[in-house]
Amino acid sequence: MPRNFLTIALPKGKLLEDSLDVLSQAGLACRDVNEDSRKLLFEFPEQAAQIVICRPTDIPTYVEYGAADLGFVGKDTLLEENKDVAELLDLKFGYCRFVVAMPEEKVPPRQADGSFDLTSLNHQRVATKFPRVAQTFFSELGMQVTPIKLHGNIELAPRVGLAEMIVDIVSTGTTLRQNHLVEVAPILEATTRVIANRVSYRMKYKRIQELVERLREAQGLGDS
Amino acid sequence: MQRNILGTRIPAGMHDFLPAELGILEKLEGKLLDRLRRWGYQKVLTPALEYAACVQPELDKDDELYKFFDRQGHILALRPEFTTPIARMVGARLRTLSLPLRFCYAGDVYRSSSAQYREFRQVGVELIGSGSALADAEVIALAAEGMRELGVADCQLNLGHMGIFMGLMSELGVPSEVQGALEEKLARKDLVGIESLVRQSDLSDQAKEILLKLPYLHGGEEILDELVRFSKQAEIREAVNGLREVYGYLKDFGVQDMVALDLGILRGFSYYTGVIFEGYVPGVGFPVVEGGRYDALYGDFGFPQPATGFAIHLGSLLGLFPHDGLEPAGVLVYGADRSEVIRRAQALRSEGKRVEMAFEVVSPEVEERWVEEKNISRVEKV
Repeated sequence: MPRNFLTIALPKGKLLEDSLDVLSQAGLACRDVNEDSRKLLFEFPEQAAQIVICRPTDIPTYVEYGAADLGFVGKDTLLEENKDVAELLDLKFGYCRFVVAMPEEKVPPRQADGSFDLTSLNHQRVATKFPRVAQTFFSELGMQVTPIKLHGNIELAPRVGLAEMIVDIVSTGTTLRQNHLVEVAPILEATTRVIANRVSYRMKYKRIQELVERLREAQGLGDS
Repeated sequence: MQRNILGTRIPAGMHDFLPAELGILEKLEGKLLDRLRRWGYQKVLTPALEYAACVQPELDKDDELYKFFDRQGHILALRPEFTTPIARMVGARLRTLSLPLRFCYAGDVYRSSSAQYREFRQVGVELIGSGSALADAEVIALAAEGMRELGVADCQLNLGHMGIFMGLMSELGVPSEVQGALEEKLARKDLVGIESLVRQSDLSDQAKEILLKLPYLHGGEEILDELVRFSKQAEIREAVNGLREVYGYLKDFGVQDMVALDLGILRGFSYYTGVIFEGYVPGVGFPVVEGGRYDALYGDFGFPQPATGFAIHLGSLLGLFPHDGLEPAGVLVYGADRSEVIRRAQALRSEGKRVEMAFEVVSPEVEERWVEEKNISRVEKV
């Protein structure tokens, strides 16, 4: 395989369309990539590149091991997976927020500054897809909670008593409202990032740097 | 006693080596050690178990040590690398020798959070007692020659310098809390985080520009010229001149073609203080060589001395070689008269042959299978 050949891992699901858009704008003709076909690997020999489609949570792993040189992945997944990869660019799309939410009848009292007083939530259980993010947030507040790892439909957990609260990502808040949950604390905001294997980033430096610059332009990020 | 399920397994990240694979590992290790000895490095070995206070002085830091208690309640740890234990050994026992000291090592290190193996073989050197650029160049050239010796010709070594980041921090008057945050992001290779931190800071536009550019300075000597245009600061001048000198010597050593200057080597703020380098091989997703200058470490052991060195992660390279490391083909001896079999086997061994004895007379079918499995080239019936 030539030295400047690039393998790019893209997440299937809601980030795929935007990822392909921005890659095409950056000059990689990859319009025919889609997840409806059963194909997971798309080759572009004339552009010395290939694209693999992976589960979002697996992307940091593919990149950490160097199976993919570059990956597109949400900052939420990146934080939770905590892999040794280089984070090169914020693509700004796929915006979402991490929040702590609870059933509306159980929300803690507000403090003078209007924020909720979380101290009463000590030693409670948190249902989440992101136990690391949840644990880090609460330990930085000096609190102890028990994260319960779930793989989906997190908002169900408080309704059936599996956990007192949840840590989840929200984009509009509709799901929370439908399940009578109220946001009690923001944790952080996340967007899609370009990550690189730490060896590819140094060995295929020119190729990766060029692509990152073109992606940056395609996003209209410039030096704004 | 019949082993339970756990007793028949090995812990995560551990690795059994069967003959063919171990043969490769030892062949590579032997080649490397030969090369290191030819440069005057003497092999030492420190214990696998150290006090945690030696290998991890900041116990509150999230670390990757395997830790145990001894009977007195002291915390012990499996060595996560060799540089610190060798500093301990030299500081305690070898202070009176003439400098510089040249030591090499080959052994397993243990890291409980490692993504790949958690026990892996490292071969490396320590050059203690010289702060000269030639000492830096010697260990880098030796790392390059070592990789060539292994037959990994397309290895690339990237060379950076810790003093450039530190110098920029003091030149630009970066407040200490911003510096702390930058170091943390640098260690995580979070360029997005660095960019947003720098853009939000009160630094001058020129300072922002150079900080954002730093991770992208990569290539030959021209990047040093570019950096010098930005900065008049003594620490940076010194780092740049040091890198230039080292890079020049690497040409004399005949390895410059394997080395690129790279101010974007992002390394956590470990014990390194000066020139640092990493080695990469296509197809291996992790750096296979790590090294650099660490002038403060020996002071921690009461013997302040400049020092530099590197480690090659031999374990990560094994996948690049076919597993055909079996011993050279041998002779199988068997026969009805056991005394005669023993005498013949001993006679062949004294000639230097590798000999296996069969304890019974073997059938042609068995013979055929053994020849295949045991890599036997000749069968003698006596």
